[in-house]
Amino acid sequence: MIDIKGARKSFVGKNGDFKAVDNVTLSITGKEIFGIIGESGAGKSTLMRFINALEMPDAGQVIVDGIDVGTLNKNGLRKHQKDIGMIFQHFNLLNNKTVEENIKLPLELHKYKNPLSVDEVIKFVGLEDKKENYPAELSGGEKQRVGIARALVTRPMILLCDEPTSALDENTTDEIVGVLRKAQNEFDMTVVIVTHELNVIKQLCNRAAILERGRLIDTIDVNHSVTDRSDQSYYERVLEVLKDA
Amino acid sequence: MPEAIQIYIERVIEYTPRLVESLYETGIMMVFAMVAAILLGLPLGTLLYLASKGKSLENKLLYQIANIFVNIVRSFPFLLLVVVMQPLIRYFYGRATGDPVAASFPMMLIAIALYARFVEQSLHDVPKGVLETARSMGVTTPQLVWKFLYVEARSSLIIGFTTAFVSFISYSTIMGVVGGGGIGDFAIRYGYQRYETDIMYSAIAVIIVFVIIAQWLGLRLAARLDKR
Repeated sequence: MIDIKGARKSFVGKNGDFKAVDNVTLSITGKEIFGIIGESGAGKSTLMRFINALEMPDAGQVIVDGIDVGTLNKNGLRKHQKDIGMIFQHFNLLNNKTVEENIKLPLELHKYKNPLSVDEVIKFVGLEDKKENYPAELSGGEKQRVGIARALVTRPMILLCDEPTSALDENTTDEIVGVLRKAQNEFDMTVVIVTHELNVIKQLCNRAAILERGRLIDTIDVNHSVTDRSDQSYYERVLEVLKDA
Repeated sequence: MPEAIQIYIERVIEYTPRLVESLYETGIMMVFAMVAAILLGLPLGTLLYLASKGKSLENKLLYQIANIFVNIVRSFPFLLLVVVMQPLIRYFYGRATGDPVAASFPMMLIAIALYARFVEQSLHDVPKGVLETARSMGVTTPQLVWKFLYVEARSSLIIGFTTAFVSFISYSTIMGVVGGGGIGDFAIRYGYQRYETDIMYSAIAVIIVFVIIAQWLGLRLAARLDKR
């Protein structure tokens, strides 16, 4: 589904070139939830951005659904990006558009064969009563739900999540994790999550790649924790996190 | 004292038709300047933004040409710009002096350059995250401009336009030198040159009221459209 082969990327920094991604090769299977973890500056976000061509590798290949992303022209890239949803750490909503208008936005940019309806997706993320609100009136968790809804409305083949919970408190993080899991179950996508929060990976992912200073150290099978903590009360979560080993 | 007030009122009534005519001339110049600012200044400012480093139409040459044009027009002392443009206006319009339409040409040029700079600045204030989101959705450049940049920058675009509008009023007062008329010309001709200072102050008061109303309307509209 997603094959990254020998990808490298350097940025020019104050102290000369900085290798953000250094010869990474990995493969993500269709329909899996794949985590990319590492400390900040490890190159996780850059690596994920290769998939939807927000960053282009200096060397190496990125093959998504059989297509070599590096060979695409401008038009081809747009078509490629159209089928990949993305959610962001800071949500990146348009503040002058309502929740509904934000979610509708991708549908105004491209023609989609089989999109979800805006109402359907708003209901899915549980924001029926916030349709007419502006982002400034929402909490962090609600904003991320809008971000998720905006990504899902096109029925993407791949969903990229860039630190989706890093700006949220623990409670809200569990909520968002719940929404993401539900989304993957229902819409059958490949999901790639970049985060430094190990808990999020543990709750969501099948496999995870560990990056350190741009290099792939290991790819591990995640011992999936089965409990869906978004259904638990705050008290139950406290007990689970603090009392269990 | 009441007698003085009575005389003043009589004089104002006497001058009112000429004042109204001056306002009409100012109005013509302002409309030309505003239309030019929107139809040409907005695209030029957008081009300055898009052609700058790291943006979707990055192009050094294009940026420099637009940038130099804006800088030259803006650094010209306005009175000299009016004079220098005379042959050009004559070529395009047939005459360069004597009516507010001829006088509108330099007004339009300064309006384009001034508003283009405001637009460029407003667009640079749009958060990076918005641009990244747009790119991740695979937008075309026109979609980026209309669906993202203008949406998120709209209140600042309006505030910039309001500031530009107030400057246009100020520029228009110079146009009397080429017979363009207008409220500034009125103030100079009747107030300054004929020592009828009361008429001059009245005309200035009218200008001030216009500026205050324009500023108030602009800020109000911007606040209403700002949901950030």
